[in-house]
Order: sequence, then C-alpha cells, then structure tokens
Amino acid sequence: MRSFSPPPSLADRRDGGRRRVTAIATVVLAALLVIIGQLWYLQVLEGGRFQEASDKNRIRIRPIAAPRGILFDRHGMPLVDNRPAFTLSLIPRELDRDVERRDAALGRVASLLDIPYAELLEAVTRVPPDSLGPVRVRRGLSLEDVAKVEEWKLELPGVIVEVEPQRAYPTSRFAAHLLGYVREANDEQLKQGRYRRGELVGQTGLERLLDDFLRGKDGGERIEVDAMGRPVRLIQQTEPHPGAQVVTTIDRRIQEAAERAMDGHAGAVVVMDPRNGDVLALVSTPAFEIDRFTGAIDRTAWLRVVQDPEHPLLNRTIQSTYAPGSVFKIVVAAAGLQEGAITPMERTSCGGAFTLGAWTFKDWKEGGHGVVDLHHAIAQSCNIYFYEAGLKIGGNTIGRYARAFGFGEATGIDLGAERFGLIPEPKLRRDKKQRPWSGGDVVNMSIGQGAVLVTPMQVARFMAAVANGGVLWKPRLVQRIERPDRGVVWSDPGHVNGHVELSPVVWAFLKQSLWAVVNDGGTGAGAKIPGLDVAGKTGTAQMISKSKAEKGQDHAWFASFAPVKDPEVVVIVLVERGGKGGQVAAPIARKILNAIFFEKVASVDLAG
Amino acid sequence: MRASAVPLIDRRLLQNVDWPLLGASIALVLMSAVTLSTLHVGRAGGTVAFRQLAWFGVGLMALLVTASVDYRKLVRAAPAFYVLGMAGLAAVFMVGKTVSGARRWIGVGSFSVQPSEIFKLCFVLMAVWALTSRWARPIGPGTIGFTLVATAVPAVLIVKQPDLGTALLLMPVLIALLVGAGTQLRLLGGLLIAGVSTLPVAWIAMKDYQRERIMVYLDPFRDPLGSAYNVIQAKIAIGSGQLLGKGIAGATQSQLAFLPERHTDFIFAVFAEMWGFVGCLVLLICYALLLLRGFDIAASAREPVGRLVALGATALLATQILINVGMVTGLLPVVGVPLPLMSYGGSSMLVSLIALGLLLSVRMRQFQ
Repeated sequence: MRSFSPPPSLADRRDGGRRRVTAIATVVLAALLVIIGQLWYLQVLEGGRFQEASDKNRIRIRPIAAPRGILFDRHGMPLVDNRPAFTLSLIPRELDRDVERRDAALGRVASLLDIPYAELLEAVTRVPPDSLGPVRVRRGLSLEDVAKVEEWKLELPGVIVEVEPQRAYPTSRFAAHLLGYVREANDEQLKQGRYRRGELVGQTGLERLLDDFLRGKDGGERIEVDAMGRPVRLIQQTEPHPGAQVVTTIDRRIQEAAERAMDGHAGAVVVMDPRNGDVLALVSTPAFEIDRFTGAIDRTAWLRVVQDPEHPLLNRTIQSTYAPGSVFKIVVAAAGLQEGAITPMERTSCGGAFTLGAWTFKDWKEGGHGVVDLHHAIAQSCNIYFYEAGLKIGGNTIGRYARAFGFGEATGIDLGAERFGLIPEPKLRRDKKQRPWSGGDVVNMSIGQGAVLVTPMQVARFMAAVANGGVLWKPRLVQRIERPDRGVVWSDPGHVNGHVELSPVVWAFLKQSLWAVVNDGGTGAGAKIPGLDVAGKTGTAQMISKSKAEKGQDHAWFASFAPVKDPEVVVIVLVERGGKGGQVAAPIARKILNAIFFEKVASVDLAG
Repeated sequence: MRASAVPLIDRRLLQNVDWPLLGASIALVLMSAVTLSTLHVGRAGGTVAFRQLAWFGVGLMALLVTASVDYRKLVRAAPAFYVLGMAGLAAVFMVGKTVSGARRWIGVGSFSVQPSEIFKLCFVLMAVWALTSRWARPIGPGTIGFTLVATAVPAVLIVKQPDLGTALLLMPVLIALLVGAGTQLRLLGGLLIAGVSTLPVAWIAMKDYQRERIMVYLDPFRDPLGSAYNVIQAKIAIGSGQLLGKGIAGATQSQLAFLPERHTDFIFAVFAEMWGFVGCLVLLICYALLLLRGFDIAASAREPVGRLVALGATALLATQILINVGMVTGLLPVVGVPLPLMSYGGSSMLVSLIALGLLLSVRMRQFQ
C-alpha cells in the first residue's frame, strides 16, 4: 500500500527542511551579531575605561617615605635622629579572602602582640579590600614582637613587618616640649587634605612648626604586579627628597644638665644667651615620654598622659603663667631709681609688717630685716622696703617699666601657643575713665604678687636685658634650616624686640645688688659657685592667699645670669609648689650653671 | 547507492570534501595554538600549545575515520552509542577524578577523558535516530516525549557532576533537531511554554555557586574579588584590547594572570585582549564561516538523516560558541562551556573534530 500512495513531494519536504535550517542559521547569525555588538561596546566604545581598569589591576604605587629632617643643637649634635624601626602592617589584598579565616588570623595577631582586636579590624575595614598599600597598625615593635610575627608568618598572610624610619631621642623624655612629638596625621589633619593617611606629621613643638621643612618629599615606585600581587617589574621610580636639617640654638649638653637638675620637680628652666637671645635650654617638667608618642600610641597610654593632673603636655616655659614674686622687685627697683623716686641712700626700718589702712602686709621674714637700704632690700628680698618704694613710685610707672621689659606681651619665640601673662592696670570705672590705683594693688604688685602674671620665658628675656644693659631679644630657637641639595633655605639672624634705656649707673647698681643676692649673704646663696660671679634674684610666688594655702604651696623662682661682668648665660628656674626660691630654685640653678661653666664633658651618644 | 565498504578510496567522495569548512577549522586551531603558546599556565608551561596541537592531530584522525564511515550507519548504531555514553557518565560517579570540586574526568592511562564531552555526540546521533525512525513519524507528542526523556536522564547525570554547561547544551541542540525534523510549530510552542514553566524548579535544584553565578550575571559588582572576579577580569581584558589589541607582550590581563581559566573557558578574553576588536572580528568570521558551511550542508542534504546529522553537529558547535563567547563577554551568566577548537582540552578538541567529521561525511555523500 505504502509504495503506491504518492509520497509527499520529495522536493516539497526538502524545501521545508531547507527553510527551517535557514531559519536556525539566521537565529545563530543574529546571535553572532549581538556578540559583535557587545564587543564593539566593550572594546571600542568603553575600551579606554577598561584600559584604565587593566592598568589599575597591574600597576601598584608604593610610596617610599622621605626620611624626616634632623634637628641639631648649636654644636652639631643631633637632638633627634631617625632610626629604622619595625612597623606592623596589614596588606588588605593579601589577607585571606575568607572572612572567617581572615578574622582568625587577625585574632592571632591581636593575642600575639597584645593589640586590641577591634583596632585591627577597624584598620582593615577602612580601606578597600583589594588595596596593596600597607595599613600601619602598630609602630615601634620590639625585636621580640617581630620574632613572634615571623614565627607565625605562614599562618598570617597579609600581615607584614615593615622597616620604617622613626624618630629616636637621646632619652625617653628628652626636650619633649621643645621638639614636640610626631604622630600619624589625625582625622582633622586628613580633612585639610594636606596629608595622606598614615603619614607622620609633627604635632607639637618644633616638629609641628617646622613640619613643612622637616617632612621632605616622599618618593615612590610604580610597580607592575601579577594577579597574586607579586611584583613583576619596576616601571618607574621617584627618589624621596629627605627633609631639611634644622640647626637650633639649643646646647644639648646644657639641655641635658638642666633636665637632670629638674629631675623630680615640676616646673620650668630656660637658659638663654643674653648677648643674642639664643635659647640654650628649654625644659618643662614633668615631661611626657616623647618616644612613646612617636607613630601610633595606644589609646590607654594617650589617655594616661592627657588625664595626668600634672599636665605633662603643657609647655610651662611659655604656656603657663605664674606670679613672678620677688623677681619682680628688679623691675620696681629699676623704675624707682630711673625715675628718681627712690635712691640707694634711703633706708627703711623693716619690722616685719606694713600697715596700709585697714590692711596689714607682712614680710616673709618673722620680725623683719631691721634697717635696710635698696641694695640690702634686694639682697635680702625685703618686702617692707618694696611696699613703701612701690607706693612712692606708683602703679602706673611700675606697669610702664614692666611692659618696657616685655612683660604682658608675647616673646615671639618660635613655638606658638604662647601666653602673654598680665601686668595689671587699675580697673576701669563705668564711665571708662581710669580709677586711681588702690594702695593695696600697688603694694602687691611691688613684690610681684596680686594680678601680675609672667611666663618663665618672659623672665628669661627680662633677665637677659638686665644682664646685657637693656636689649630685649626675641628668644631664638632656630639658627638656620638647610636642605641637602639647596643649602640654607631659611635663617634667623636674631631680632631685637626693644630696648630699655636706663642710666648706666642704674644698670650697674642692679647688677651689683643681684650679685649680692648670691654672694653677699642674700637669699640666693644657694646658687653660689666659688670662682664664678653669679648674679640672681630669688622669688617665692604665692599661689593663693597665705591664710588658706599650706606651706610649700608657693612657686619657687630663681632668675640668674653669670658671669656678672660679661654675662654669657641667663638661667631661669621655676619650681611649681616648690617652696622658697632661695631654698629650692637657687640650688637647681647652681647645678645648671656649674654644668655650663665647669662640666665641659660631652654627654652620651644619641640613642645609645 | 550504499557507501563504499572500503573507506577513503572512492574518488567521488574526495571530490566533495568541504575545503572551506576544513580551512576555517585549521585557521581556528592555529589561532588557538598561538594564543596558548603565549600563556604560561601552571606546571604545563609552554607545552599546552603542543599538547593542543597533538590533540588536534588525534582529532584529525578521528575526523577522517568519521568522515569515511557512512553517517547512516552511525545513526543506525546510535542506541548503542547512547547506552555506551550513558555508561561513561555513570562511570564518572564511580571512578571519576575530582578536579576543583567537579567529577568530570576518567583517567585512561596518562590521559583524562571527559565522558560528558563524548556524550554530546552520542546524544546528537541518538536524537537523529529517534526523529528519523519509522515509528517516530510523523513527529507527535510521543516522539517529543521520548526525545525529552532521552535528553533529561543524561542531563541530570551531567548536572550532578556538576557540569551545568554541558547539560545546558543538550536542550538547544534538541530544539534545533526538532525544528529541523519538521515538528509542527504548535508543538514546539507548547514545549517552549513547558520549558519556561520549569525554570523555578531549576532554580531550586541549582547548587549555591550556580545561583551565585546568575546573581553575579545580573549584578557583576556584587562580589568583585569572589564570584564576580572572572566576569569582571574578562570584561577588563576584552575591553582593554580596544580596536587593535595590545599584542602578545602587552596583554597584561592574561600575561600577569589576572584572568582566570585563561587557557580553557576564558581563552576568548585572552585572544580579545591581544588582538582587539579587529582580531575578534576575524575569529568570529571564521566561526561564522564554519557554521554557515555546516548549515549549508544540512540544507543541501537530500534526505532527513543526513540533514539532521549535519544540523545536529552544527547546532552543537554553534551552541557552544554562542554560550562561551556570550558568557566571556558578559552577555550570559558564567557556565563552564569550552570554545570549540580554541579552548585547551583534548576531549573538547576530539569532539569538535568528530562533529566536523560528521559534517564532512554528510557533504561527501549528499549526491549518493
């Protein structure tokens, strides 16, 4: 049957099959055209963008830190140097991709090095996970820590120990306030956009002030890496430019001697050259451990310093004001002599107390000094004499001389954040006319009490003016800044802030009296050094009215210069709550002076 | 007239060899060898290119043998091939080697054979056998049902390896064969609707990593270092090739190993980075030429078996090419499908050349 039935036309069936094959072929060709369209889009339209992406894939930029500039003392001894230090860093790209295993590794690091786990986690999460740049977690690892990390190296992918230059100081607290500390740029500084994350920035002192000079310019390497992040070849390298070198006016030997002399006391020391205003030593105690502040300090250590009731971060030489106490009597004497209000011949009987209206002012010495003239009043620091003298001279005149000697205004020292102190004026009345001075205010001012406030640096500048015959130097800290490639880029020839014109006789008298303070039975005998003519003035500044304060709550001052004939150094010592200036501050000054003039032995080398 | 019992002697057969088809294939294999020779892959190093050429030689022999045998004989033996192929798939579960989480290979001496690759050919022959057998005609729901079962059972086995890519190939090839066999469009439409309605089931049956691949396809920046890494790096490689390519030395994406699977599934991205849009166009034209010759052989075949064998072989190659290039260029989700004649891999090379052998066989016998 089948063979007879007419088969469906063979040609028809073949044509039908042909059409269907053609249809399938058309679909396939259309799909190929879509693919070509996609290739056109990827390679021609978006090609540039993908080219960039592929460069970003393969090119890594590795910064090379420029060594920070070094600060030298006036004799070329380094005050701070750089030393290779170990830094624990994480490389996000090389950490385990598996979050659980990554966190386990971070936990291991936390327990090995006693770093809070949260700190590590935070460090990892603040950068993109494919970044190859190391994230610094902890600077200044000990060799022991390094050994622990190396031991676990295989289990800790992406955890590396880098060697970075780090600040090194002769001792832990060496010149902490003068130099200032260097730390990673904080969030605020990062916001200003001048610094990169992890970059070290001077935060206080000279490190901050001269940061632009000290920082130098980082170099960098453009490296081609493979997919595993392994460097394949160096594409380009830019050499780092080291920071400039700073030559300061500091004498490291004197600085160290002054720090030793202040050991155990809170207070300040300023050593200045009265011939040019050079600051030879600048000490504020208690100091903070400057080496622990370098790099990334841990939070607890930081809080301990910030919350310390002794305020170790405060630079007491310029940021703290004190009543000058009897040191101020030099100003009163100068004013009285120059204005003719008092003469060396006049004598006063000191019975230990002075009555003004309803008030009684006491001398520091029970029973008084007996009959004294100006010379003895200075040497013995007789208050009664100066109460009377002050009233004769008048508050306005004393204030005028005090301001002429630079009190109540900034010294202009290159450290910033300086306080001005205060020389009181009579209070203004409602109608803005000056009220006349009250006798009590003048009496208090005459012995440097009451509202009078000064900084140790102001006292140093003043004492230098007494020593050099009236020249008020701007305290100089930095002599010059040199760049290795360009020589001296900045220098400070010294600036005179003003002159105090007094009769030569007055200068001579003041020096003579100040010499007597130390050498002729005066209050400053504790600073006497045989063979050296030291001149000085003690001061005991009452913090609060004596009735409430315990004994020993007074600030002790000793302001001195030596040798009397051609003064070379001014030494100012302030001991907070130290007691009497003559008993506490003068011996410290003596140690410093002794070191300056007689111990010419070089000190230990920097950083062992 | 029946095919000659003595192969390769009949002069008339040789007169009908499809030289453009062979030419395009050889050009593609050469491009593959050049590309592979620039890659320093794992332990194999530069030998990958030589191994690929060696496999090409083996494949060429297989091609000759296939072409010399009458395809109708092969179709008649299809059920036997199919059972053997299924046995191979089953064997993978018992003696298979696990490579990067998938059991796809069986060790034979120092070689590894991928039964799922070989099975593709068995499947094409089986489908042709089913659609051209007397009992199956005219093609109705029964025939379609039979072919669907014959597809689904091995597909499940292959998915379990897991080798989703190969399993996914079977369906488009079957549809092409059903269309080519003259199935009524109404039935095909019904099949399509049924297929779409099973997609949710497929989603549930998928493995997590497979679902992740689809999510990544929809949103490539979901996980740039994890599951989306391949897709992103492949796009960067292709795109950065721009119009004229970076050349061999400048192809950093592949030379510095940012591109994964670069000698196998992602070889197209390597090629695109080196030779740019122009190079891709040349490559795709070679493939288009190859496929068009295949479709032409199918269209010119005088009887249904020859037409369907040619169509099946061509559809098999076309599906692999489109899925592979589609996934590498980011048009399709990532599934493991090699690029015929380009991707490194012996089984794939062998299967592609046998498919070409089937095409030649049909062409040579179209006037008989």
